[in-house]
Amino acid sequence: MSEITELEEAAREAVASTRSTTRIIEISKLNKWFGQFHVLKDIDLTVYQGERIVVCGPSGSGKSTLIRCINHLEEHQEGDVIVDGTPLNNNVKNIDAIRSEVGMVFQQFNLFPHLTVLENCTLAPIYVKKMPKAEAEALAMSLLERVRIPEQAKKYPLQLSGGQQQRVAIARALCMKPKIMLFDEPTSALDPEMIKEVLDAMVELAKEGMTMLVVTHEMGFARRVADRVIFMDQGEIVEQAPPEVFFGAPKFDRTKLFLSQILAH
Amino acid sequence: MSDYRALGGVPFMPKPARPAPANTTGVVGWMRQNLFSSPSNALLTLVGAYIAYVTIMAILNWAVFNAVFEAESRRECLDLVGRAGACWPGVVAWSRQIMYGLYPADQIWRINMGFLTLILWVVPLWLPRVQSKVAIGLTAVLVYPFLASYWFLGGQAGFVWSVLIAASIACFVWVWATALLESFTGATFGRFVLTLLGVQHRSEQDQRRVLRAVAAAMLLVAYVAVSFWTLPFVPTTRWGGFFLTLVISGIGIAFSLPSGILLALGRRCDMPVIRIACVLFIELFRSVPLITILFMFNTMLPLFLPVGVEVNQLLRAIVAVCLFAAAYMAEVIRGGLQAIPRGQYEAASAMGLGFWQTTVLIIMPQALKIMIPTIVGNFIGLFKDTTLVSIIGLFDVLNMARAVGEDTRWLGLFIEPFFAVTVLYFICCFAMSQYSINLERKLDTGPGGRR
Repeated sequence: MSEITELEEAAREAVASTRSTTRIIEISKLNKWFGQFHVLKDIDLTVYQGERIVVCGPSGSGKSTLIRCINHLEEHQEGDVIVDGTPLNNNVKNIDAIRSEVGMVFQQFNLFPHLTVLENCTLAPIYVKKMPKAEAEALAMSLLERVRIPEQAKKYPLQLSGGQQQRVAIARALCMKPKIMLFDEPTSALDPEMIKEVLDAMVELAKEGMTMLVVTHEMGFARRVADRVIFMDQGEIVEQAPPEVFFGAPKFDRTKLFLSQILAH
Repeated sequence: MSDYRALGGVPFMPKPARPAPANTTGVVGWMRQNLFSSPSNALLTLVGAYIAYVTIMAILNWAVFNAVFEAESRRECLDLVGRAGACWPGVVAWSRQIMYGLYPADQIWRINMGFLTLILWVVPLWLPRVQSKVAIGLTAVLVYPFLASYWFLGGQAGFVWSVLIAASIACFVWVWATALLESFTGATFGRFVLTLLGVQHRSEQDQRRVLRAVAAAMLLVAYVAVSFWTLPFVPTTRWGGFFLTLVISGIGIAFSLPSGILLALGRRCDMPVIRIACVLFIELFRSVPLITILFMFNTMLPLFLPVGVEVNQLLRAIVAVCLFAAAYMAEVIRGGLQAIPRGQYEAASAMGLGFWQTTVLIIMPQALKIMIPTIVGNFIGLFKDTTLVSIIGLFDVLNMARAVGEDTRWLGLFIEPFFAVTVLYFICCFAMSQYSINLERKLDTGPGGRR
C-alpha cells in the first residue's frame, strides 16, 4: 500500500507543479456490485482541477463503471463520490447539478439519430440550461468549428462517418460548458483511419486545461497527454503514476504483463 | 488525409467508375431479371398474367360493361341483364343513407361542413413554412371534437359546453391565422397581434396581458356567434352510415395513440402500483374480443349505473372501441420503446435531461418512427373493426349496405352495396397505408435518408 501512496504523492507533485490543487473529484472507499458481482472494490481517487487522467486495464476490470459512477449513470452501494463539492447521493437535485457540470463521450457515440447535428448540440443547453435558441446555436456552431465539422451541422448523425460522429459527440458534451469531461473508450468503435481525428480533438481539449478522465487503450495518447495513468484490474486500482513512470518503470507484475500485451502488437 | 502524396511512393490512381451492364437496368433489363429469367419462370409469368386478365375482365364485365345504371327497381335490372351485370341504381338510390345514415336530409350539409373543418384544421400541417405544427396537431385532436359536436349534434348546449365550442372556433381561427402569418411573414400570431395594436415595445407583462385580452375577445365573439346560430338537434340514434364509421374510428384512432403511449410508459414504470394497473388493463382488454367488449358496454354497463342515468348508446360503443384500441396501441408502443438502445437514455441522462424531457424529446420520436408501419396497421385494423358496432344495433356503413337489400324495391340487392362499401374501405385503407409509407420515407434520417 505504501508504494501506491508514494506513487500517488509523486503524481500529485507532478500535477501540482503545473496545475491547481483544487480537488474537483473525490472518491473514497467506493464499492459497487452488479447483483452478486463485486465490480469496484474500495476505490480511492482524487482528481485535481485541470488534471488529465487515463484509465486503462483489461476488459471487465471496472474502469468504465468507475467513470460512470462519477455522473451517476451507475449507482454505487458504498463509499462517497464528491464532484466539485457536491456529494453524489440519492438526492435528485445533486445528481442533476453534477450532470450539468460533467460531460460524457461514449464508445458508441449515442448521438440522437432523429435530430440534426446542430439540434443534437443545442438540445441540452435549450432544455436543461434554458438558454435562448439563437445563443445555443451560436455556441454549438463555435464548438462544431473547434472539432472541425461546422459544415456538417445540418446533416443527421447516421450520415456521417464514425470519426465525425464522435467529434459531434464531443462538441455536444462541450455545449453544456462542463468542468469535467469523461471519455468512455471514445475510439474503440472507430476504424483505424478515424481514430486520429478524434484523438486530435481530445488533445486540443486537454491543451485548453479541461479536467479529463479518459478510459482508453490508446497508449500513445496516454503518453502524450496524461498527467497520470491509472491501471485497474478486477475492480481495484493496481497502480497509478505519471506516464513516464508508468510506461518506463511499472511497479507491479500485473501492470508489466498488461503493458507487454498491449504494446507488443 | 489528402496529403498522403507528400509522403512519396508509387502514386495510386483509382479506376474510374463504369456504368452497370445494360441488360440489368431499364424496363427490359428488369423484365428479363424478374419475369423471364428461366423457362419455368417465363411460364409462371404467362400463367399469372392470364389469371389476372381473366379475373379483372370478369369483374369489369360485371361491374361496368354489363351493368345497369338506370332502373326503378331490382326487378327491372333483372329483366334487362339478369345476374350478368351489376344493378347500380339501388346503390345510388341508397347512397345518402350509406354515407350519412338517417341524418335529416336538409341537415346533411352540417356533416360535410364538419369534415371540411377538420380537413382545413390539419391542412397547415403539410404547409412547409409553418412552425407551430405541434400546437396545431394537438389542437386538432384535443379541441376540434367540440366544434364537431356543434356541427354534428347541434341543439341548445349548456353554458360550459357552449364555451368549449366557442373556444374551439377561436382555436380554428388561430390555426389559420398562424398558418397564413407564418407562411407569408414568418411572424407568430402573438407577435402579429402585438404589432397590429402597436404595443410590441411594452414590457413582457403588458404584452402577455394584451394577448390574454385578445384571446378573451375572440372567445367572446365566438360565444356570441354560437349562441346566435344554434343548429337543430340531431340525436345520435339518427347518425349512421359512413359518417358514423368515421366518427367511431376517428375518435378511436385519436384516443388510442396518446393513451397507448401513457399505458406503455406506465408498463415500464418503476412504481409497482402504476405498473400493475397498466399491465392489468392492457392484458384484460387484449385478451377479450372487441365484440365481447362492445356487448359488455352495451348491455351490462347500464346494469351498474344508478336508475335513471342513461348513457348514450353511441357513446358506450365509442368508449369500448377506445379502450380496446388503447390496449393494443400500448403494446405496439412498448415494442418501439424496446427497440431504443440503452445508450440513448444514458446520453440523455448524462446531459441532465429529466425523465419527461428524455421521453418527449429523445425516446418517443424514435420509438414512434420505428413503429409507424405497425401503428398505421393498427389504425387500419381499428377502422375496419368498427363494422362490429353493427352487431349492437348501430347503423354503420356495413349495416346500411345490408339495409339496401331489405328495401322492398331493391329486395335481395346485396352484392352491389357490399361491393361499393368494399371499394370505399379499400380507398380509405390504401390511402392510410400509402401515407404511412410516405411518412416513413420523409422521416428517414439514416445513411441513405434525406440530406
